[in-house]
Amino acid sequence: MQLIINGEAKELDATTIQDVVVHFGLEGRPLVVEADGEIVAKEQWPDIEVRPLMKIELVHFVGGG
Amino acid sequence: MDERLERYSRQMLFAPIGESGQQKLSESAVCIIGMGALGTVLANHMVRAGVGMVRIVDRDYVEKSNLQRQMLYDEDDVREGYPKAIAAERKLRRINSDVKIEAVVADVTVHNIDDLLGGMDLVLDGTDNFQTRFLLNDACFRRGIPFTYGGAVSSRGMSAILVPGKTPCLRCFLPSADSGGQTCDTIGVIAPVVDIVASYQAVEALKYLVEADKARRNSLVTFDLWSNYYYEMKLGEAAKECPCCQLKEYPALQVTETDQTVSLCGRSTVQISGHGPLNLEQWHKRLEPAAVKVELNAYLLKAELPEGERLVLFPDGRVLVQGTEDIVRAKTLYARYIGY
Ligand SMILES: [Zn+2]
Repeated sequence: MQLIINGEAKELDATTIQDVVVHFGLEGRPLVVEADGEIVAKEQWPDIEVRPLMKIELVHFVGGG
Repeated sequence: MDERLERYSRQMLFAPIGESGQQKLSESAVCIIGMGALGTVLANHMVRAGVGMVRIVDRDYVEKSNLQRQMLYDEDDVREGYPKAIAAERKLRRINSDVKIEAVVADVTVHNIDDLLGGMDLVLDGTDNFQTRFLLNDACFRRGIPFTYGGAVSSRGMSAILVPGKTPCLRCFLPSADSGGQTCDTIGVIAPVVDIVASYQAVEALKYLVEADKARRNSLVTFDLWSNYYYEMKLGEAAKECPCCQLKEYPALQVTETDQTVSLCGRSTVQISGHGPLNLEQWHKRLEPAAVKVELNAYLLKAELPEGERLVLFPDGRVLVQGTEDIVRAKTLYARYIGY
């Protein structure tokens, strides 16, 4: 399915938000996911299904300084 | 123009600050926690801008690998092995002697955080880990002091100003302080990211201190300089179950049993404190029947346990569990023999 991940069109095999997070190897990272401009709570990642051209922003919190 | 204000002439010509903004800055006090890459840029901005009082806090010493990005330090500081807070103070005084600079060489913990925030209008986050940041977050939100979050690693950066009662806090976005293993020490960092992140923090600090509330950024800005990515995430409302914003629990400030349990690295020993004073003679009698061997002197009581480990009790309430580095194991033995 084609999704817009952090502004770029990407073709990937995913049914839910959780699949997208796993695809990019971001499980266990300090991450906030926005789908079409709305924050999706972590508990809901496995339940929210993605649809073609959904705009998904993977906001990866940065700890260094 | 007042001679003292001359150095701020260009900043005062900037209409949103002006002379009244400059006056507000001079009456403000800020605390910068962490004087590494972000902290040095932040301090540079605050001191040059003429913030009245700047408290800088760091536990570390200047090392050669800092010089690539920690802009207040130089080779002399490395040679002299100066604490960062002291080296920074020395440099900052030369930059602007009108600013009151207070250098604190200390590890920021639950025990001193509240004192460090005393009298401060705003806190600037120069920390390099989420654990200290969550402590800052909780202490600031409990006191009602805003803080500007900043993070930089690799070519990625992030910043937001978090204002108690007006914006969410860090915990609204992240349930735990786990950084996922990505730090400047594991995947590196390039200096331009640091300057940009800290400058985003600094400009929000200026807006806040001159009370330009309408100009406040209401988003979390995130970018990757190498891949030319930029995104702003709306801060929105506080999360429904946030332990800070809603439940007022401030988890990092709760001194729990765990906080008082430390594994003494490399010594096969776990220290558990938090018990009231221990009467060693009483404990001698109590432990004698259960222990393999008990030894008492004027300063401590040693008890060899049938499990193989050893307990060492001190009159001040500390107990060392020797023969393990496993905190859970240590607490099990502690519960078994000392109780709580
Ligand atoms: Zn919150």
